[in-house]
Amino acid sequence: MNIETFKYDNRIVRAFAIATVIWGIVGMLVGLLAAVELFFPGANLNFQFITFGRIRPLHTNAVIFAFVGNGMFMGIYYSLQRLCKARLFSDVLSWFHFWGWQTIIVAAAITLPLGFTTSKEYAELEWPIKVAIAVVWVAFAVNLFGTIVKRREKHMYVAIWFYISTVVTITVLHVTNSMVMPAGLFKSYSMYAGVQDALVQWWYGHNAVAFFLTTPYLGLMYYFLPKAANRPVFSYRLSIIHFWALVFLYIWAGPHHLLYTALPDWAQSLGMVFSLMLIAPSWGGMLNGLLTLRGAWDKVRQDPMLKFMVAAVTAYGMSTLEGPLMSIKTVNSLTHYTDWTIAHAHGGALGWNGFLTFSMLYYLFPRLYKTQLWSNKLANYHFWIGMLGMIFYIVPIYVAGITETLMWKEFNKDGFLQYPNFLESMVQVVPMLRLRSIGGTLYLIGVFMMAYNLYRTAKAGQFEPDTEAQAPALEKTAQPHGKYSFHRFLEGTPMFFTVLAIVAILVGGMVEIIPLYLIKENVPTIASVKPYTPLEVLGRDLYIREGCLGCHSQMIRPFRSETERYGEYSKAGEFVYDHPFLWGSERKGPDLAREGGKYPAAWHYNHMDDPRSTSPGSIMPRYSWLLTQTLDRDALPSRLAALRRVGVPYPAGYENGPAQKDMDAQAAKIVADLKLGSVTCAPDKEIVGLIAYLQRLGTDIKSAPVTTAAK
Amino acid sequence: MEEKIICSMNGVAIYGIISICIFVTFFTGMLLWAFTKKANYLDKMGKLPLDSGETHSNDQSNAK
Repeated sequence: MNIETFKYDNRIVRAFAIATVIWGIVGMLVGLLAAVELFFPGANLNFQFITFGRIRPLHTNAVIFAFVGNGMFMGIYYSLQRLCKARLFSDVLSWFHFWGWQTIIVAAAITLPLGFTTSKEYAELEWPIKVAIAVVWVAFAVNLFGTIVKRREKHMYVAIWFYISTVVTITVLHVTNSMVMPAGLFKSYSMYAGVQDALVQWWYGHNAVAFFLTTPYLGLMYYFLPKAANRPVFSYRLSIIHFWALVFLYIWAGPHHLLYTALPDWAQSLGMVFSLMLIAPSWGGMLNGLLTLRGAWDKVRQDPMLKFMVAAVTAYGMSTLEGPLMSIKTVNSLTHYTDWTIAHAHGGALGWNGFLTFSMLYYLFPRLYKTQLWSNKLANYHFWIGMLGMIFYIVPIYVAGITETLMWKEFNKDGFLQYPNFLESMVQVVPMLRLRSIGGTLYLIGVFMMAYNLYRTAKAGQFEPDTEAQAPALEKTAQPHGKYSFHRFLEGTPMFFTVLAIVAILVGGMVEIIPLYLIKENVPTIASVKPYTPLEVLGRDLYIREGCLGCHSQMIRPFRSETERYGEYSKAGEFVYDHPFLWGSERKGPDLAREGGKYPAAWHYNHMDDPRSTSPGSIMPRYSWLLTQTLDRDALPSRLAALRRVGVPYPAGYENGPAQKDMDAQAAKIVADLKLGSVTCAPDKEIVGLIAYLQRLGTDIKSAPVTTAAK
Repeated sequence: MEEKIICSMNGVAIYGIISICIFVTFFTGMLLWAFTKKANYLDKMGKLPLDSGETHSNDQSNAK
């Protein structure tokens, strides 16, 4: 037997580990600021770049792609080498991957506060950064597959299956959801409109959770848990079933983010049913993880790394039970748009991803630095303060969510809304929002404790850049014992395995996406729905820039409590010119789908200048810069041209003259309206564009009787 | 409105039938496959992460 000696690359693992800690702290700090701004709207110091609407996507992107992303690469690069008994395919690719990913994060941290956003959740980054993500991701994929191909271990352990499914599915999702038409370097419009855009976005959004936050971390669980417990996984058979069932089912469940919206009912039901079925593989995985520790629970008491791991796997179980329950339409009618969703998301993020990442860091640092953890005591304190932080974060937000939904749906004995002013529900939950930020602070303190502990560990030890290892060279035998085994063929042939995994995830995608294109021909068009005027287009872009959809939905669900409050429920045909759709997913302010004409122009002007002047107690930040900044009229031609290319029927040449004339006329009319409310404003200010857009919302079907006609 | 969409979508029922067929086939196949695995193979695979091939293993416990 030919024994080969080789070296595992620890440098790249350490680099990703350090990045994980740094970006974790940054992402959580931004989250804390966002949480404070929700009960103290002046916390942005009237500085537009850190308003809630702009830093919310910064927070979500930072914790998902910077904190968890780097944590995932750290864990994968460490475990992949050891599972394949081979050094990573290419050191150059590893470092290109590392620096490329960090550059993308920095680019996000700059562009999102500047307001360059597509508005699509977890896919907010503008098109040049999307291209960069694709390039870096391909480098990661080549490095992963290259390492698998040159492995010395004949079999592919189940963790590697999870890694492969992550790489291929994220590629498919990212490409499909990034189909945009550029309108300048930092602006683009989604190729899809309205209902189609919503379905593609949440097919992406849901599966970003599945294949970025879940599958890679399950792979890591299947590696690090047995390693730390020093015993094999409870049932390898169960892990096979867990893998295939999970990747097959997950991809179908996206539409559960759009229940009771204008999405066709069949798609909603499909999303709900598959979400419920997901409980089975998810809990199979959780139990497989926890049962691995049977007979070894004494280790959990001693080793903080295992404590974090057990809490993480338990949080995974809780989240994957709660998620499917929230996908039941009746439950969803209560939870959607409320803080309940935020509590659910953070149960997964803080518990599953956060704790599992901490667990890996506590495992890796002593090994990378050939020493012991500097302080087990401090790590234990981290564990308990983290748990306490989670409880203080999640419980108040559950209370807030339930309060919100009950207040929104409450009718008095005469049949009128008990709380007709949306603001009443927000004022009611402010104490809960305060408590939540205390929970977040505790959790963050724990992370600082960990960072210090890891720093001291690194200082006390001696970093080992390469770890020497030995393994027999992989002999190329066609079939062991001359017996045909499909399974061995499958996992011995990574490319074939990959193709099969792609087929498994594409089946669900195709069954949802093929009808998606059919819907395009079948969404009943509403004759009175017309494209936005030039001024409204620019106003809508401001609405996107400021991240208004972070707090205001534009989707009235067909419930009496909503139609009483907001007006006629939203129809699919109303959104045919919405590139992108702006339905939103959370209400910290009222729905705006029928906002047009509700208030005079001067009300909007004063409200944007200081929301508390028109709505006492409002938690909305001031947008006074909109009153002084000049609207970017030069951008109009490229934007109208881009919108025409994605299917909005502006006449040819409209952007070269006629559009500007129409814009001037509409701006003059708004300025005159403002005068009626004793407000003097120049027609070229941003606020004029935003008012034009807000006053348009939902008016198409108000102005004319609804007549639907199939295309 | 939903009914109109569904009615106007030609052959929408076929998607339901296709879905259920794919679903049943996939899961039957997968379960059969998983349950016909040999015990010694599963044992071997489960133990795979425990041997990392390191010449000087520093898999010490974290305890101090």
